[in-house]
Amino acid sequence: MNEVKLFLGPQHPGMHGNYSVHMYVDGDIINKSRPTPGFLHRGFEKLMERRLWMGNLALIPRICVPEPDINEMVYAMGVEALAGIDVPEKAHWIRMLVLELARIAVHTMSLGFIGGPTGMYTATYWAIAQRDLILDLFEELSGARIYHMYIIPGGVRKDLPDGFAGHVLEKMAELETKLPEFGELILKHPVIHARAKDNIMLPAEVVWELGVTGVGMRSATGLANDLRKVKPYARYDEVEFEVPVAVYSDALTRLNLKFREIYQSISIVRQVLEKMPADGPVNVPVSPGNALRWTVPAGMVYAAVESSRGEYGYFIVSDGREKPYRIAVRGASYPQGLLGIEKYLKGYRIDDASLWMDTMGVCSPEIDR
Amino acid sequence: MNSMNSMISDIKAALSPLETSEPAFRQIAAVVKPDGIHGALAYLKNKGFTQLCILTCIDWIEDSQFELVYILFSWTDGIHIQLRARIDREKPFFTTVTDIFPGARYYEREVHEFFGVEFCGNEDLYKPLFLELWDDIPPLRKDFDPQAYSDSKFPMRENANEFLSMTGGGDDE
Repeated sequence: MNEVKLFLGPQHPGMHGNYSVHMYVDGDIINKSRPTPGFLHRGFEKLMERRLWMGNLALIPRICVPEPDINEMVYAMGVEALAGIDVPEKAHWIRMLVLELARIAVHTMSLGFIGGPTGMYTATYWAIAQRDLILDLFEELSGARIYHMYIIPGGVRKDLPDGFAGHVLEKMAELETKLPEFGELILKHPVIHARAKDNIMLPAEVVWELGVTGVGMRSATGLANDLRKVKPYARYDEVEFEVPVAVYSDALTRLNLKFREIYQSISIVRQVLEKMPADGPVNVPVSPGNALRWTVPAGMVYAAVESSRGEYGYFIVSDGREKPYRIAVRGASYPQGLLGIEKYLKGYRIDDASLWMDTMGVCSPEIDR
Repeated sequence: MNSMNSMISDIKAALSPLETSEPAFRQIAAVVKPDGIHGALAYLKNKGFTQLCILTCIDWIEDSQFELVYILFSWTDGIHIQLRARIDREKPFFTTVTDIFPGARYYEREVHEFFGVEFCGNEDLYKPLFLELWDDIPPLRKDFDPQAYSDSKFPMRENANEFLSMTGGGDDE
């Protein structure tokens, strides 16, 4: 046996973000692997303790780069629970609209990024093009493309601009005509089948052992374990949608589930625009005076939402002063990104390692923080 | 689905917590003694709280205590539980819970790296995880000052005036 140590990442076309896996390989079979996070560690949890409650709004979306809105949502939910703020009805619906548009954007992108590990870059270009059109909607809504800082404690920053609902509906209709082409290109392509079918397995017992949530959990256990259904936040209990599930979790199944979730999100977006109250306030003031001197009552609360990769949450501690005492971030890709790589990557081939990370949903910024 | 009230009374009967509260919608917080954490986690896992969402720590420097926080979730009931226990800050030793929740291994490594809490029984504890070549106290402790650390590691360079005189700028012409 001639074992070689090989570094995959942090610079590698199939790698997502600055993440590295050290592998001991024999031929092209991985004998042992070790995750090496920390290339993207920016000390968010310490930084948040040193900023005002309001000042943190500019910081938190940066924790997860592809899907920043979930950070704003969990922060707002946690602070509202601590301070006892009642969010206006319309703000709930606008929040759902933003979260579902973000979910469509990130699922489209993650479907397309299968091009990195498999070498089929057409999918990537198509997906980035579609995502950019959704980012246009965000730009119209909030002025920013990636980091919106739109969901704030007490509601959302501004009401929807004039004609925004029409633009969203147009975009959704256009996306629905494009999605079947995505299905043809990615999910039925022989290259993807050769690489993803019956490969990168995730058995149900591994899900429970590691604590994997999201698409991974639903594809392996057949349970509709989605926080939007199990513990609804905002107004998810008033819209109808299905949670796609499967009982055999290979890489192709997980891609299929993501694809089907996009359709469900489109349906939720349409229902939200239909059921949203026409007028009314979209935010309530969080403090009677200056937001810079705003204090949050002492307490500890955990707020969680369903992100595109699974349960995403903040544990927020306040000691009643102007700054948070401690905020801990629960990234959805923590279990599979660290322990999963260490225990379950071995036995696969080198070129499957980045496919493993892609379809398991590993997002390095939220692991490193 | 069990109701919140029956869940709270079950927890009170089985774990005899020091205090319980409901900090948010469908969320229970229970404070137990440190030696009760293992029993509580095993009990809750059997009650359906099969997922460990996060294991983290809070530094209460004024009380000289660390507070360990275990957040569990039950997918059948849709309830989050915060299980908390305080340990001595000067002697931050605790035992691992990887026998109950194997997924806790990296959370414990993270808490060790950022707070210095030692989890006996976790064999990987001393390997560096996020911080490479770290040479100061654990950084998420409240007495760690990032500004002072940054100033000592990356001193200010004083070459602005030289640069101006070299390029012919400045006041002397």
